[in-house]
Amino acid sequence: MTSTLGRVVNFPVRDTASRAGSAVSRAAADLNASVSRLTDEQAGVVDDWGRDPALVRAMIRAARLRWDVTVGGDQRLPRRKGALIVVNARTLALAPIYSAFALSEAVDRPVRFVGRPDTAPIGALARRIGGLLDHPDEVAGALAAGELVIMGAAHNERLRRVGRVDHSLVGAALAAGVKVFPAATSSNPIGRAARFEIGSPSRSPRRRRGPLTELELSDQVGRDIELLLAEMGNLRTGTPLDWLPLTGLGGA
Amino acid sequence: MTGKRVFVSGVGGELGTTIAGLLEAESWVGELSGIDADPPRHRLHRTVFHRIHPDEHDRIVDTVASFNPHVLVHVGVWEPDARAAPHVAATLTDQAATSILGAAAECSALEHVVVRSGIEIYGRLRGALTRPSESAPIAPTSDWGRTVAAIEHTAAKVGERVGVTVGAVRLAPVLGPHVPSPLGRLLRQPGVPFSALADPPFAVIEDNDAARAIVSAARVGLGEPVNVVASGAITALQAARRGRRVPIPLIGPEWRVARALSFLLGAPIPDHVSEALHRGRLADNGRMLELLGFTPQHSTVDVIDRLYHWPSIIHQPARRQVA
Repeated sequence: MTSTLGRVVNFPVRDTASRAGSAVSRAAADLNASVSRLTDEQAGVVDDWGRDPALVRAMIRAARLRWDVTVGGDQRLPRRKGALIVVNARTLALAPIYSAFALSEAVDRPVRFVGRPDTAPIGALARRIGGLLDHPDEVAGALAAGELVIMGAAHNERLRRVGRVDHSLVGAALAAGVKVFPAATSSNPIGRAARFEIGSPSRSPRRRRGPLTELELSDQVGRDIELLLAEMGNLRTGTPLDWLPLTGLGGA
Repeated sequence: MTGKRVFVSGVGGELGTTIAGLLEAESWVGELSGIDADPPRHRLHRTVFHRIHPDEHDRIVDTVASFNPHVLVHVGVWEPDARAAPHVAATLTDQAATSILGAAAECSALEHVVVRSGIEIYGRLRGALTRPSESAPIAPTSDWGRTVAAIEHTAAKVGERVGVTVGAVRLAPVLGPHVPSPLGRLLRQPGVPFSALADPPFAVIEDNDAARAIVSAARVGLGEPVNVVASGAITALQAARRGRRVPIPLIGPEWRVARALSFLLGAPIPDHVSEALHRGRLADNGRMLELLGFTPQHSTVDVIDRLYHWPSIIHQPARRQVA
């Protein structure tokens, strides 16, 4: 009985101490997060796709200065298999890139993003940080090799709307036999707060035998992302304080 | 499947000799014969060697036709600037491919052909896939890429005409202690040039792994192309650092000077090596295990590390000058 009470009743002093302790350990874990992964990925070489783990770690540390990304729904992703994650994106927001960095940290796996150019030096740098060409065969190859790949939908100027999702890349996921996950991103042009929320895998509304599958699945992914964006909350919900750009909402 | 007659072209090269050595240990192999312009690099116990130059068309046809092989393993190819200058290498490779594959087509017992190819066959045009799989389009952008594409094309035509299966083993750049490789020579130079703007990744394969892959292809009767590439990748800068060489960053026009200097120092940079240093050279090896039942023993990084541990040439003066 005593032991049960001991587990339920939290003493104020102990509570404060444990909170402080957990905050310190969280901060230490944040600081050491990239260090602990150094043991997993070999420094001084690149992986099969030309991604440089050391550079990615450095870029993740640099990206933390710009974005403070909260990742949700990553438990839905397969542990070992590949998956295509489609995010809403807007011009210059770099949503696929910060999402890839944040997800990479959350799941402790390399995460690629689609859309690197093939010209040096930008293309070479993008390849080093996990960029893939915007080509179905390239994406299919990565997915078949068990990689997590993030692609951005086209930008739609209307808030909470998602532009066209490239059906050829979704077709690549179907060809590779992996699931397609919708994900909503929200970032702020001024503030650091950003969100990356992964939903349940999208399913084609109808069973098709031909290429209509990928078309319909692409449309469904777009709708699922819009739903996730709506669940994230609208710009003008909450108190007027929430409307300020510093809150992290808006700018999806 | 026992007692098969296997003919190896290019048995005098390091790769060919290793392949013949491995084939001698295979239970399904009966008689073994080989042909090359140079004698084998190691002692072969069962292999009957014929020293014939690639331009001796009639002798090649007679030799192959009289052996009447069940399986032809064609590794008689010359990589540019490995053992011959690019134009000579292209000529020798073309002569050998035409004569040997043509002769094999006349053999009634022929069941299967395996040819050595390379991942240079995919080319590195702008927008080309980072890791092309076997189904990627063939668009070679270097002399060596065009050469291996021509070999595959010739072999496929022969296979189609006489109704035998043809497998192409598309090897990453082959490195080994005794393998003449322009990439290996360049990386072992005291100073290694690299593209400062791109420094793209490339993958390689160790010579023993390459030989095992080709023997596996002959054993299983591979009937399609397969990429044979060691896992992992490395860039020229990373390789130079691992080998404690001086990395020399180059941006553009000075590459011409670097190529000329490297040529004078004995490590010419052919266009396919230059392309690998500027645009990278990777390939998807996902089907290797499925098609060949084979996994390379050494990763790309291991091969590069071993490259720097191979001893240099030690010049031993003659004990007694006789001339």
